[in-house]
Amino acid sequence: MALRATRRRLPISAPTGVGIFALRRLAYTNLAACVALCAGTRAPAQGLGVTDDAGRSVRLAAPAQRVVSLSPAITELLFALGAGVQVVGRTTWCDYPPAARAVPNVGDGLSPNLESILARHPDLVVLYDSPTNMVATTRLNGLGIAALLLRQDRLVELARDARILGRLTGHADRGDSVAAAISSVRQAPALGLRIAILAWQNPPTVIGGASYLDELAALAGAENVFHDLASPAAVVSLETIAARDPDALVVFADSGGAGTRPEGLAWQAIRAVRSGRIIVLVGSRFGRPSPRAGEAVVEFRRLLEAGP
Amino acid sequence: MKRAGLLLAALAALILAVAIGPTHVPWSEFASSPIVRTLRVPRALLAFLVGGALGTAGAALQAVVRNPLADPFLLGLSGGAGLGAVLAIAAGLPGAWATPLAAFAGALAAMALVYRIALAQGSELDPRGLILGGVAVGAFAGALTTAVVSLADAVALRNALLWLWGGLSGASWDAVVVVAVYLPIPLAVLFAAARPLDLLALGEEPARYLGTDVGALRRRVYVAASLLTAVAVAVSGVIGFVGLIVPHGVRALFGHRHRALLPAAFVGGGTLLTLADTVARVVVAPRELPVGIVTALVGVPLFALLVRRWTA
Amino acid sequence: MDGLILELSGVAFRYPGTAADALSGVTLAVRRGEVQGVLGPNGSGKTTLVRVALGAHAAREGTAMLLGKPIAAWSLGELARTVGVVPQREDFVFPQRVRDTVALGRYPHLSAWRAARDADRQAISRALERCDLSALADRWVSTLSGGEYQRVRIARALAQEPQLLVLDEPTASLDLRHEMELFELARSLADEHALGVLVITHHVNLAARYADRVLVLSRGRPVAAGPPDVLTRAVIEEVFAWPVQIELFEGRPQAIPLRRGKDGA
Repeated sequence: MALRATRRRLPISAPTGVGIFALRRLAYTNLAACVALCAGTRAPAQGLGVTDDAGRSVRLAAPAQRVVSLSPAITELLFALGAGVQVVGRTTWCDYPPAARAVPNVGDGLSPNLESILARHPDLVVLYDSPTNMVATTRLNGLGIAALLLRQDRLVELARDARILGRLTGHADRGDSVAAAISSVRQAPALGLRIAILAWQNPPTVIGGASYLDELAALAGAENVFHDLASPAAVVSLETIAARDPDALVVFADSGGAGTRPEGLAWQAIRAVRSGRIIVLVGSRFGRPSPRAGEAVVEFRRLLEAGP
Repeated sequence: MKRAGLLLAALAALILAVAIGPTHVPWSEFASSPIVRTLRVPRALLAFLVGGALGTAGAALQAVVRNPLADPFLLGLSGGAGLGAVLAIAAGLPGAWATPLAAFAGALAAMALVYRIALAQGSELDPRGLILGGVAVGAFAGALTTAVVSLADAVALRNALLWLWGGLSGASWDAVVVVAVYLPIPLAVLFAAARPLDLLALGEEPARYLGTDVGALRRRVYVAASLLTAVAVAVSGVIGFVGLIVPHGVRALFGHRHRALLPAAFVGGGTLLTLADTVARVVVAPRELPVGIVTALVGVPLFALLVRRWTA
Repeated sequence: MDGLILELSGVAFRYPGTAADALSGVTLAVRRGEVQGVLGPNGSGKTTLVRVALGAHAAREGTAMLLGKPIAAWSLGELARTVGVVPQREDFVFPQRVRDTVALGRYPHLSAWRAARDADRQAISRALERCDLSALADRWVSTLSGGEYQRVRIARALAQEPQLLVLDEPTASLDLRHEMELFELARSLADEHALGVLVITHHVNLAARYADRVLVLSRGRPVAAGPPDVLTRAVIEEVFAWPVQIELFEGRPQAIPLRRGKDGA
């Protein structure tokens, strides 16, 4: 089983929820042992086979009918594939499409809650490809439940996920067409606009190159001044932001409020703040890679051109 | 001689903190650069004031509870401040000062609770009560913080944790002014208690016969040191080790007389935190380390060395 | 009333939460130029007596007056400028030199912000001299013998420039020479510097030799009080629960403890 022990990438599933997956490391070991006693096991059989992003091969005897999704991007993708009715469990963060909210919530998914997952009697669990989830996957496999580790940090990865999930849920054609649509998102002409994308204000945390948002900004024709940072998000000095001198600062609006808009005197050192060039992104389509990427690029582009 | 040396070190640390940073500012533009004026200078000054407050509070608390392991954050204040901050973040209170104010209020609430616990019988503040009460209140606040965090959404969780790790990223002139106006009163209370604190080292009864009202001294010093810690945590989060190590370091240099020790702990703490913050800003530039990590990396080996010296 | 410094009359005290008085009916006076001994076995209430006399504990009955003023009316600072105490126990917490240790005795005379002045330095030098410590002034306290360390603590109390010096078991764990030196010092402070000296001790013979008056305590109650003559065989045997024979030496009683079953006991 190929497990890359050190992985720097973290999923970005809520706009400002960057890196939260790495922050919570609760152990559910005892719980899993209890679960093993109360759950039955099923033998794997020949049928549909795929290789997931952790390099594991996953086989299903028949298309999955009861899928638990532990990533908001996957949930959205499954609905886009027409497999929405097969989704029987989701995370707290899975809020799109609106129909997804009707699916039972199995927790925040940061550290998978095996008991509530098993209570949904899934035949397939889809998780983000992270070391924590690797452990959960092993336990699920031990209980005879197929589990898939997928990454969605880039559109190209999402397109691949669409094909894999299409096959495993019996919507292979739809999977191919969604993948094609995702792959067809085109790069908009360069605007010559340099931006910094602010994930959080104090300490100043910016979006780096290894993130979907960086890709989205590039597709929309803007240049992320922190593209060179090899992680999805990083704490930097205000001084660094001031020195890199972006033309505009992109911030996120949490549900309704403008919570991350830079406040305080120190931010005045940054030209984009002084000149009020702050672009506020609203909505889940910016935070996670999704079949709505095309829309997101267009909207992002519109905001960049309109200015604040 | 030693005093001049310490002051020179402090000056050098401040100059260094202003002179270097993750970006290069040419000397010709130095005075006019907004990076220097709006960011580096207030940040260096705030680091100095916060470090000084923590160093002085640590020295005074170690004397008043007569325990060399006392640290401003051991006495439950960080737990209370963290809880306040997390509540403010979870409740989404707006404004740049909401979280610091909530943290300050949390620290004061923890202080009041520990104080109440340590009032063993009647009006005597029991030093063991302060330590045990501090640990208990800290643990209790920590549990409540975890509860709030698990029920709040992931964004609040992350923000709260980042805030708790501490740092001076938000340093600005208004914070410097607020802290500079606030500090003199608790500092004056502690400096005025310098001689009685020397006497307290002899024990409660000898201190009393040398004219010290031990109960009043404990109350005054505990409250003043807590007020220093509370403002430090409000503007910079929990920055560990400064309050623990600086007093031991300056004691080795300046002896045990609090009239020399307390001011030296202020200057020493300020110097240490200014340097640590400079390291935090530049060492992994353009990224930034939490300054608490730097103080721990510098402080723990230093502390181990001191402990070896005592036990040898 | 001439030269009266400390006066206790009919004092009783009970520790909170206990059923019996730790002190009762205690009357005592210390005058200028006089050494007053308080004698008694361990646990007889001698240290409690000091605490009540100096206001650390409030008397349940009776009065404690210092220079004609009730002890409760004294501020701690005033008190420390009037009475120097060498407590039985104190913590030895950090390394310091003899002169610095003695300097702690000036603290009651210094306000929070005032630095030490010449007058303070002179008081310290005088205190060192009176205790024969001038040669040791720059030594680290940790290098001193037990007797020298006790003298340092007395010098610290003298630096307070008190009118009354209280020594609580000053010779515990000292050898003969150092015991003698300490009592000689106490005597000379009373004789030459007109201090009132209150010495708490369980050394019957030293108290009898050096004190002008003694108070004998047993379980918190006075058994005898007055000039050393009150130290009769009956009193000593009752209080210390051991047979003794009294001999006079230079007119003062000296108790010789007898061996069990021998010496005619």
